[in-house]
Amino acid sequence: MISKIHCTAIKGIDGFLVSVETDVSAGLPTFSIVGLPDTEVKESKDRVASAIRNSGFSFPLKKITVNLSPAKIKKSGSHYDLAIAIGILSATNQLSENAKEKISTSVFVAELGLDGHIKPASGILPMLMAIKEGKGKQINSVFLSYDNLNEAIISKTQPFCPISLKDLVYFLEGNLTADKLLNTTAAISNEEEKLEVHGLDFSEVKGQSLAKRALEIAAAGSHNILLSGPPGTGKSMLAKRFNTILPPLTHDEALEITRVYSVCNLLGKTKFMDERPFRDPHHTISDIALVGGGSNPRPGEVTLAHNGVLFLDEFAEFSRASLEVLRQPMESFNVTISRAKESVNFPSKFTLIAAMNPCPCGHNGQAERMCRCTPAQINRYKGKISGPLLDRIDLAINLNPVKYGDWKKLSEGESSTNIKERVVKARDIQVERFKNSKTTANAFMTNKEMKQFCKLPDDAGSVLENAMRKLGLSARSLDKILKTARTIADLEGEPDIKSSHIIEVFQYRTMDRKGVAE
Amino acid sequence: MTTKMELSQQERLARIQLNAFTYLRADWFYKLIEVFGSAENILKQTPMALAESKIISLDSAKNLLKEAKTLNPDEEIAKTEKVNGKILLLEDEDYPESLKTLKEPPLVLYIRGNFNPQAIKVAVVGTRKITPYGKRCADKISADLSCAGIVVVSGLARGIDSTAQKAAVALNKPTYSVVGTGIGRCYPAENRKLATEILDNGGAIISELPFDKPPLPFHFPRRNRIIAGLSMFTAVIEGEEKSGALITAKLALEQGKDVFAVPGPIDSLQSGGTNMLIRDGATPLFSGQDIIDAIPMEFQKNIVVEDSKSKEEKSINIANLSDIEKQTLELIASSELSLDDIVNKLNINVSEASTLLFNLEVKGILASKDGLYSKNKFFSY
Ligand SMILES: [Zn+2]
Repeated sequence: MISKIHCTAIKGIDGFLVSVETDVSAGLPTFSIVGLPDTEVKESKDRVASAIRNSGFSFPLKKITVNLSPAKIKKSGSHYDLAIAIGILSATNQLSENAKEKISTSVFVAELGLDGHIKPASGILPMLMAIKEGKGKQINSVFLSYDNLNEAIISKTQPFCPISLKDLVYFLEGNLTADKLLNTTAAISNEEEKLEVHGLDFSEVKGQSLAKRALEIAAAGSHNILLSGPPGTGKSMLAKRFNTILPPLTHDEALEITRVYSVCNLLGKTKFMDERPFRDPHHTISDIALVGGGSNPRPGEVTLAHNGVLFLDEFAEFSRASLEVLRQPMESFNVTISRAKESVNFPSKFTLIAAMNPCPCGHNGQAERMCRCTPAQINRYKGKISGPLLDRIDLAINLNPVKYGDWKKLSEGESSTNIKERVVKARDIQVERFKNSKTTANAFMTNKEMKQFCKLPDDAGSVLENAMRKLGLSARSLDKILKTARTIADLEGEPDIKSSHIIEVFQYRTMDRKGVAE
Repeated sequence: MTTKMELSQQERLARIQLNAFTYLRADWFYKLIEVFGSAENILKQTPMALAESKIISLDSAKNLLKEAKTLNPDEEIAKTEKVNGKILLLEDEDYPESLKTLKEPPLVLYIRGNFNPQAIKVAVVGTRKITPYGKRCADKISADLSCAGIVVVSGLARGIDSTAQKAAVALNKPTYSVVGTGIGRCYPAENRKLATEILDNGGAIISELPFDKPPLPFHFPRRNRIIAGLSMFTAVIEGEEKSGALITAKLALEQGKDVFAVPGPIDSLQSGGTNMLIRDGATPLFSGQDIIDAIPMEFQKNIVVEDSKSKEEKSINIANLSDIEKQTLELIASSELSLDDIVNKLNINVSEASTLLFNLEVKGILASKDGLYSKNKFFSY
């Protein structure tokens, strides 16, 4: 006899409905799963067999074939356990007709323990969102682990959360009332509880006004930024506070991030990703861990930083290959991983904060300590961050050590709350500006939008000419200068770009000044 | 050692060819000439025969003949003439007199551009890791000398060398580069433009090495003896205690020439060598005039009184600066300050400081490197 149970699968960070077809027929006892399962899915067999036996049902000593359809999409994860178990019970007539009727409009997404316990799975949020969006047939009930309840609530789904396979069958047979499986209070009790951003604040950073201003601009216009300076100048201290001045996430943005973290099984105790992620992978990270990949494609750091910040410290120490693979996600805001049978897309719209030393030894340009690097070594080091990658970085600044004597005299810096207020105002101006466009911030303006919104002030000609002649700025960087100037104008609430805004941008274009100082 | 004699064309070619062996020292060469009669004849010998003279080892003899045979002297001449250069042999009349007296005079000189043997020449050398202070001083002293009609001789290296030579070029004055490559090459490559400007302004590029010789580490200390040798004095602007510039100074002293050194802060590594030179008896150098004053009477007639146009270009008019600009200059003085320092000390915001510093930079009063601002030019109030 054949049964057909609804379950879900994940491709990238999108869920979709699949059906689990189970055929139990006479023959030598075998148990096979077909329909492009990966090894994780195949391991399901042992868990399902034990769970069925330990829940007081009988596991058929027959030829069992489970087909996951559509067969052309690769299946992975442990969440097929429950659907397979129900499928076997149904196909072997261990369920009543009444129960079979009920399961035909239900979806089962959970892992099983050997004792029949129902356990949580990863990727629940996008899977439930797929059901919600009507990507499947008529589904009335969703069964999953109590531990996945938070994601169900985020997707505005009211699921049933049985504790075990035995409870679930009791319920399907009408021997257990629904309210026993509908406990939704505990799981979301602290959903509203905002995590303070780890108590960090820009007021703790004394001095470094240029760097703070640059980060404010980066936050306001969504510009990528490169911080260059010797060790101990506070590059990572600044970067780690960047999130405290970013505008709050919209609900849709938060949902996108939560989906990503759900797929990666990284939600943990966090119920809902209502804060922008901050990812700071080490420079020894593999290309795959950085941008995603693997035979069963998994999101990388660039996707985990989606709608948030990717902080790459020791930027020049990353392998050339890693820096190379960063380009595509930075250009297209998503990562495409192609495999023989399919290609998977992960979102990757993040703000990059890169930090590096001025030279391999770290002390170049410092009066107190002698740099031991040769010009060729320094060129090679800086040269690593070149061309196409640098083209995606709008702001680059040098940080200098704050002298101890000065440091004592400096007053406390401006608070993150104050800075954030200006950032949010500048963002609001941009939202209004781009309301009829896909563009979300100044950094992403199209050429056409630049023509419209970045008109040069009348006296800009001589300023730019001087900058090119004396500072060595290249005409090639004019677009990025204008985008950044637009953001500065927005921060000041100015409708038009002024020359003073452009002049300020020159401070953030150290990459253009290379070679001039010699 | 050198007697006046006309060399046959064949002998000239043979000597250019033997010069391909960069370890060939003049004293060996002339001993070999004594034994074998001519360079032509040396080339015809076997390594064993050369070694039997006991002047050079068998290995050196092998290398000498091997290297010599890889060089086509006709091509050397053709390539040199193509860039309007010339090849001088030690025996030639216009070979610089001051080099003939060196312990190891170059056997062959490749000269590109306009070399004037009669000009008063002063070496201006120093570290490759230049500080803003060294930059201002090299710029000022080279400009002082150039305006007085003195030719600055240097090595076209990064740092002090190129700053000094740029200063001469900026005033359209000639300057000579003695390089550690063949004259057909440029090292470092970033100075290619400067090399062209030197030639365009009546200067010269000089080397003892074959036309296409790449830069090899041992070329540079040897090249320094030519810099010192061509020059009446050697001025060291900045240099670490162990640096090529100090080698040049030592070679100048060995040649019996005066050495000048710019005093610097005692905690600056780049002034370590120059301060040591002063302690050991070098003349402290405060301005180009110190050198001009040291030039012997018989040459003073060659010194030109600075033309006013050049002087105008060198000086900066600070009278037209605003109060806050003057305040900024006073703060920076002879140090390096970041925009943050300016923000903190003048109590202005980043945007205001940007405009202030931009205007000063555009006027050429300040220079910035890696986010630090310093005075661009040497000037006093
Ligand atoms: Zn270094």
